[in-house]
Amino acid sequence: MPLVMIGYYAISAFLLALLAWNFVREKKSPDNLVLYLLVMAPLVLRLLRVK
Amino acid sequence: MKHDGLVKGLLAAAALGLLLWGGIPLYRHRHFDVAVVTGPGVTGVARLSDYSPGLKHTLADTSVFILQGKEPGGKVVLLGDTHSNEPEGLLAALIFIENAVVEKGTVYVIPFFNNSGGRNTRPGDGYPLYFEVPTSWGAMKLRMGNRDASPLDQWPDPDVYVHYPDRQLLSFIDVRNVNRTWPGRRNGPLMEQVTFAAMEIMRRENVDIAVDMHGAETMFPVTNCIVAPEKSVRIATLAALTVKAAEGFENHVEPSPAGFRGLSHREIGDYSATLPFLLEAPIPFLDQPTGPKTTKFLLDGKDPFLLSLAKKKKLFVPYDESGWPLERRVGQHCSVILEILRQFSKKSPQKAIVIRGVPRYGEVVKNGVGHYYLDPGRADAKTIVMN
Repeated sequence: MPLVMIGYYAISAFLLALLAWNFVREKKSPDNLVLYLLVMAPLVLRLLRVK
Repeated sequence: MKHDGLVKGLLAAAALGLLLWGGIPLYRHRHFDVAVVTGPGVTGVARLSDYSPGLKHTLADTSVFILQGKEPGGKVVLLGDTHSNEPEGLLAALIFIENAVVEKGTVYVIPFFNNSGGRNTRPGDGYPLYFEVPTSWGAMKLRMGNRDASPLDQWPDPDVYVHYPDRQLLSFIDVRNVNRTWPGRRNGPLMEQVTFAAMEIMRRENVDIAVDMHGAETMFPVTNCIVAPEKSVRIATLAALTVKAAEGFENHVEPSPAGFRGLSHREIGDYSATLPFLLEAPIPFLDQPTGPKTTKFLLDGKDPFLLSLAKKKKLFVPYDESGWPLERRVGQHCSVILEILRQFSKKSPQKAIVIRGVPRYGEVVKNGVGHYYLDPGRADAKTIVMN
């Protein structure tokens, strides 16, 4: 796997961690919870090497 | 927010459920292998990574089937699934692997040339994940792939693909399109390594002819044709005229544009002594203004919207209620390849390539494509190659 691809996986993991943290911290809006989960979906699929 | 933990738990569980529901079929598709039964003419099976070591342990690596004749002669490479959403090439390549017996010369067949693309899906177009070809022993299940390699194997894409070595600027997506990455390089992006491997086969084995099999939209002008550069055009023209006269189907010749880089019919000829040919069979499934992209439509090529357009003369091929079925598309590829080899052998008798056992257009149309595939369930396990 080339270095640049590893870097992109690291960025994906970092963004996923940020979103998960925000999901846990969210106290007010259920809409935001759904939004966080939607944005996380492609990152999870990429990190698991599904799509 | 009331019941904060409960709401989050339920939402997370629902999202996980959706991910599994959508993700598991995609994962299975990517790891689904097709059983290829090696026919009586196959004398060896190599890997693309034998010619381009960087491909080893990647899903871009794939099998190269070698059919060596009893007598020496010329050599030909057949490429299928360059674009994995154009299955005519794959199915014609499998017919050669399972049926051909080479009397003179050597045939190299790479049925899943873009193996990564064959394990990729086309988002947004509603393509099926698989299709099945009916045979006398049941349905033969194959992956329906995408035009481009999977980003899981080659990522990220550049903003613009700078073609090697001509430095022509191509669309960013073409960096994953193995019909834009010819002639490739040993240490380039993965798809350049794939085309480099094929170039190495041609250079090291002194291959005389390369045939790259495709399908093209009925609304695209370069369809139902043989694309050939200057050095191949004489043989292509003779093959086109002969199949029209003897077998009754049209397959005109299109010149390979010298200024459009990265294509097999251009770069193979420019960077090796091999004569390249690219075959296009009309595949209505790829056209945009059609009904749903079902497996039935993929196989029979029948669509009412295209029929309406045909009546308004908007298509580049004749089209009627009979559609453009798989049998015709695969049969055309088989006949045109056999005719190219015959014309080459007539021109260069000392490098003749003589093959028997491969059906021609009329036979494939009459018997169906599935008639020519062997049953992996009954075949000796040693003759099965999973790809």
